[in-house]
Amino acid sequence: MLSIVVLTVFATIVLYLGFFKNRNIIVPVALIGIFIALFCLISKQSLWNNWFMNMMSIEGPSRIFSILILSTTACLLPFINVFRARGSEEVADFSGILLFSIIGGLMMVSFSDLMILFLGLEILSIAMYILAGADRKKIKSNEASIKYFLLGAFASAILLFGIATYYASTGTFRLDTQVIHSSALINLSYLLLFSGLAFKVALVPFHFWAPDVYEGTPTVFTATMATVVKISAFGAMFQFIFYCGSNMADWLYWLLSIVALASILVGNIMALTQHSVKRLLAYSGIVQAGFILIGFLQFRLENSWMILYYLIAYTSASLVLFLGSYFVEEQSGTDDQSAFKGLYYNNPFLAIVLSIALISLGGGPLTAGFMAKLFVLNNAAQSGNIVLVIFALILAVLSLVYYFRIINLMFTKTNEERKWQIDFSYRSILSLLSIGTIVAGIIPYLLVNLLK
Amino acid sequence: MMSIISLILFPFVFALLIYVLDKKWSAYLAIIGSGLSLFYFLYLLSGFKASMKVENEFQISWIPGINSELHFGLDSLGIIMILLSVIVIPIGILSSFKYKDNRSKSYYMLMLMGLSALIGFFSAQNDITFYVFFELSLIPFYFIILLYGGADRKKAVFKFFIYTVFGSFLMLAAIIYFHSLIGANKTTDWALLYDMEIPLKSQTWILAALLVAFAIKSPLFPFHTWQADLYAEGDRPTIIIIAGVLSKMGVFGLLRFFNVVNDAIALYQIPLIILCIVGIIYGALIAWRQSDLSRLLAYSSLSHMGMIAAGIFTASISGLQGSVFQMLSHGLVAAGLFFVVDTIMSRTNSSNIYASSGIASTQPNLAFYFFVLCLASVGLPLTSGFIGEFDILLGLTNTNIYLGAIAGLSIIFGAIYTFRLYQKSMFGTSNEVSSTWKPLSLTEEYALLILVLLVFVLGFFPSSWLDLADQATAPFVQLKSKM
Repeated sequence: MLSIVVLTVFATIVLYLGFFKNRNIIVPVALIGIFIALFCLISKQSLWNNWFMNMMSIEGPSRIFSILILSTTACLLPFINVFRARGSEEVADFSGILLFSIIGGLMMVSFSDLMILFLGLEILSIAMYILAGADRKKIKSNEASIKYFLLGAFASAILLFGIATYYASTGTFRLDTQVIHSSALINLSYLLLFSGLAFKVALVPFHFWAPDVYEGTPTVFTATMATVVKISAFGAMFQFIFYCGSNMADWLYWLLSIVALASILVGNIMALTQHSVKRLLAYSGIVQAGFILIGFLQFRLENSWMILYYLIAYTSASLVLFLGSYFVEEQSGTDDQSAFKGLYYNNPFLAIVLSIALISLGGGPLTAGFMAKLFVLNNAAQSGNIVLVIFALILAVLSLVYYFRIINLMFTKTNEERKWQIDFSYRSILSLLSIGTIVAGIIPYLLVNLLK
Repeated sequence: MMSIISLILFPFVFALLIYVLDKKWSAYLAIIGSGLSLFYFLYLLSGFKASMKVENEFQISWIPGINSELHFGLDSLGIIMILLSVIVIPIGILSSFKYKDNRSKSYYMLMLMGLSALIGFFSAQNDITFYVFFELSLIPFYFIILLYGGADRKKAVFKFFIYTVFGSFLMLAAIIYFHSLIGANKTTDWALLYDMEIPLKSQTWILAALLVAFAIKSPLFPFHTWQADLYAEGDRPTIIIIAGVLSKMGVFGLLRFFNVVNDAIALYQIPLIILCIVGIIYGALIAWRQSDLSRLLAYSSLSHMGMIAAGIFTASISGLQGSVFQMLSHGLVAAGLFFVVDTIMSRTNSSNIYASSGIASTQPNLAFYFFVLCLASVGLPLTSGFIGEFDILLGLTNTNIYLGAIAGLSIIFGAIYTFRLYQKSMFGTSNEVSSTWKPLSLTEEYALLILVLLVFVLGFFPSSWLDLADQATAPFVQLKSKM
């Protein structure tokens, strides 16, 4: 709770810092805010014991989700400095909005009352609609913002309708009150709630916005969308299944497994045909979301660390990929795959870091991505879903085709050799994430013990 | 602590040294690192008695949730293949010496990392470790070929990669499947896995998935289409390693999982052997008509791998023993043949088998080494190739006399294409290349000499190796009594 207060205070301070000419202190101030909030979370400080009449509680898994959101944002914030040339007020705006958005994220992962879920979702979403249009002068960015806003509003409406049906069938907004009977109406409300959240993580068939919006949004904020928003929405799904999972009808679980497989299938096939790296990553994000959803199918609290592990593996790889491809885009002026050609000869650091991230996403051995897939799929197989596992694995081969196509391009020699470097601070963040990916893949115990 | 993990990390440490030190040392560090790992391995072996026990074990708990350990150890089957890797990889590095000026640090680092991964793979003592190192050993060689090799290498290595990963994901599905059959909280060391009673219907599915995985890796008949392109286009020192060691990973995997799926193998024995024999004959016939050095050897390799797999599927003492012996022998011979191809192609810059014709008269050394390797490839008595092929054919004939007879044809075909290769590339009218031919360098001379000596040693004194092969396959032969 205290962390939300801290974040709000710092977001406001950061916004006001935009009045001053010194554009170098904005991001550090925002970072200080995040670190204080992180400290509050980790040291289990709380301001009030009774938060909003128990409508939310940051405990157990939701604490880890919150820490994950905050640390992802801490990795993302320094990259807002790439907007420095546009003046201090833009840097302040974007940092402030980013801080506000993660307040929404924190609410989403720790709700036990559907009102908080809706509030959190809206706080997060509205901030993201703005950030999607951050490149005001680019038509694509505007298009992305409007598209995201219109479709997002629609999804929110569906979610709200789900909340309404939940209220209609139980007479309360709270999820933690025991619902004995399992009526058609309450299952309908679960379906609608799930659909609203599935939109945010871009699961098939709610994925149509993702490639267009990802493509138009400035890459730093695409990274936010692919990581912070997905973590928050999966965190909300986690709370939702934690409270209501036992009450859900069997056909809902069937539906979830079909959605998971469809996401893996459609995402893979569409990604194969993409030229733009950001669109490709959008589809690959759909695939990864499908894998995470498999983790939800056999939900038991003692196995919940698998979902968290997968999210961490996915987040660290995606951050490297989006932020790395930002620099490539910056250099060549396009996010087409051809821009990656010969990267190894021009900037070996970036090529190696990106390769590690791609291998991890593809499930290569001794990376976090492999362990994550192994955990989730093994868990599914133990509960008898072996057919799902086999299909998921066979489809996962497709994803290696497009991941390794990029690696192939990066290691292809080109005629023009222009060596270039990335700033030290950005380099250290990227290498930290890559080393983390490998360490978590070699010694999974370290991370798993933390998550447990 | 004399455990296997120090052997696995040994080449890796040298890879780090290469990264730290100046580029001019990297080739020498690579050869020293891989050569020393050979001697270190022999030192570890000195206390090894041929028994069914696993020695020099290294075991720590590794993956939580599925209760898997990181478990390495030396057993008879693994020893043979580790020996092959620590011999063939120095040979590959030696052959890269003539290109060492335009090979970067990363090239040699990746070579040594590949060696580490291969040792890890061959000494893996449970299925998850096995799987991880199966995939891990692919990555260094993938990147090497991405960086170096012929013009079309990218396409070839991409195909190779996607094929292999498709197979290994199927293997992962199979592993996850039998994990779910035997329950969550059990360790899955080989010895425990072999005692597992898995219903026949499940075994069939597991066998199908594993077969695809290993048939792609070896490669065996219907899954070989990546092979010729890769062997023709890839970086040639790396191809020596791939043809020598990596191609054995598939059949090695079949042996490792043999007892998990033995009932299914017994059921489908004859169709599987027929498939292998189709591959044997098919590879031999295509090799006959090739005029490209690398492609000819690629198809000959396909033919020989089919033979090894057929020996495994006989599930008989002689068949299995012959297969294990032939894995070692063919690894050395294939590495030697590709080494010769590399020596020829680095001088002629052409892969045509006529490009170097007439060279035997001016380069008798090269011609002699090549000849011995060809003899071993054909399976002449007193070379290493004979014992393995003989045992396999014996096993096949005992299983089914007609199949044995058809497989026996491959010896004739083998002689035809191998000696055609030898005749066209070594004899004939000499062309202008032979007058400007650089004599064998010291590294080439030694590498070939070592291989030829090994071929003879294995041919003259096979008994200790056969004992080892016997130990390696002993757990599997109980099947015979079951059938």
